[in-house]
Amino acid sequence: MQPLALRSILRRRADVRFRVIDREAVVVRQSAAEVVVLNEVAARILTLADGSTSLESWVDVLAAEYEASRETLERDVAGFAAELVEQGLLEVA
Amino acid sequence: MSFGEQFLVHPDLFPARRSGETWGERELVIDLPGGPYLFTGLNAGQEAHVRRRFGSFCGLGAGSPPAVETRFFRAAEADFREIDTRGWEYGLDLDFGLAAVRVAGLRLMARLDWRPGLAAAVWTPDAGGEAFAGIFENAFRALVSYRLLESGGVVLHGAALARRQEGGGAFLFLGRSGAGKSTVSRLGMERGLTVLSDDLNALLPGELPGAAVATVAAATAVVKLPFTGDVGEPGAPSPPHPLRALFRLEKSAEEAVSPLSRAEVVGCLLACSPFLNTDPYRRETLVSILSALVPRSLPAYALRFSLTGRFWELPELA
Repeated sequence: MQPLALRSILRRRADVRFRVIDREAVVVRQSAAEVVVLNEVAARILTLADGSTSLESWVDVLAAEYEASRETLERDVAGFAAELVEQGLLEVA
Repeated sequence: MSFGEQFLVHPDLFPARRSGETWGERELVIDLPGGPYLFTGLNAGQEAHVRRRFGSFCGLGAGSPPAVETRFFRAAEADFREIDTRGWEYGLDLDFGLAAVRVAGLRLMARLDWRPGLAAAVWTPDAGGEAFAGIFENAFRALVSYRLLESGGVVLHGAALARRQEGGGAFLFLGRSGAGKSTVSRLGMERGLTVLSDDLNALLPGELPGAAVATVAAATAVVKLPFTGDVGEPGAPSPPHPLRALFRLEKSAEEAVSPLSRAEVVGCLLACSPFLNTDPYRRETLVSILSALVPRSLPAYALRFSLTGRFWELPELA
């Protein structure tokens, strides 16, 4: 699985519904009748995936929320986003 | 496959409203959470088999106005496909709508309609017998699930076991088919616990008298439903038990518990909520109710257990 380019724009797939509970996300994939729970960072990324902002802008947002280097955030965001695409939760807009 | 095609010869002729020729004039009341549930349009044989299946749950609440009426109608044998049930895992086909839910199953068609209050109808070619009791129960399970949601509660696939001492509370073990609910139930019975149901139980909000707020989730109660799996019979009604702890089942060669986050608990409950977890019109309400039923004080764990039953010695199950 290749990390995504930071200029990529992702959105939640149409069949995905989620609820944030104590910073984690309970996610339902309606098409697969599947329930998954995402940790805090993955839940945050799911929230940011609005189909109009790039991964780079997500890094900007997260840089204000987490004490981590930009390099680390860029690597983690690209990696997490790719995982969520592979899990069928996000897609390229 | 479109709705009803698995079970019905002409799914496009599914009844559009509660009407038809009833089987008879017999009726009975069953009182479960969300009820009383009134069933009408039955013949004597059908009524007798339902009473035999649900035992002392029948007749309770007969003095109270029914919360829901379900009317039974005749259907033709030719309306239903013949299905070879050998090795077949039974399931219902549901078609979700905002004002109605349609249900198709083995020799069964049913509607739940909100107008705005909930009313239900069942069509079957089965005049009575053991098969009818199964048809009745399949429709009833769906009905209770929807009705309970209106009361702020949920029906869950899981085994509930209660300590026999008064105020001992109940443990809930969650998992889909094959997770080990019946095994946990049998192992618990060997250790003197009471199995409420090893298949479906209700989780309801509400304070329970005598519950120790500091040690149990007193805001959530487990209520027995007469829908059992491999262990036991429907038996008799049981009073609500305060929920002591919740366990997500995982089969293993050894015993171990690990705590679950609140999100993981809600996710587990959502996965174990039959019918409603695939209903797009009610899933948001379901998640809200599940979140409300899971206070931060509720002990919740992933439980890896073996067939030795030693997990009952874990401090989390004391």
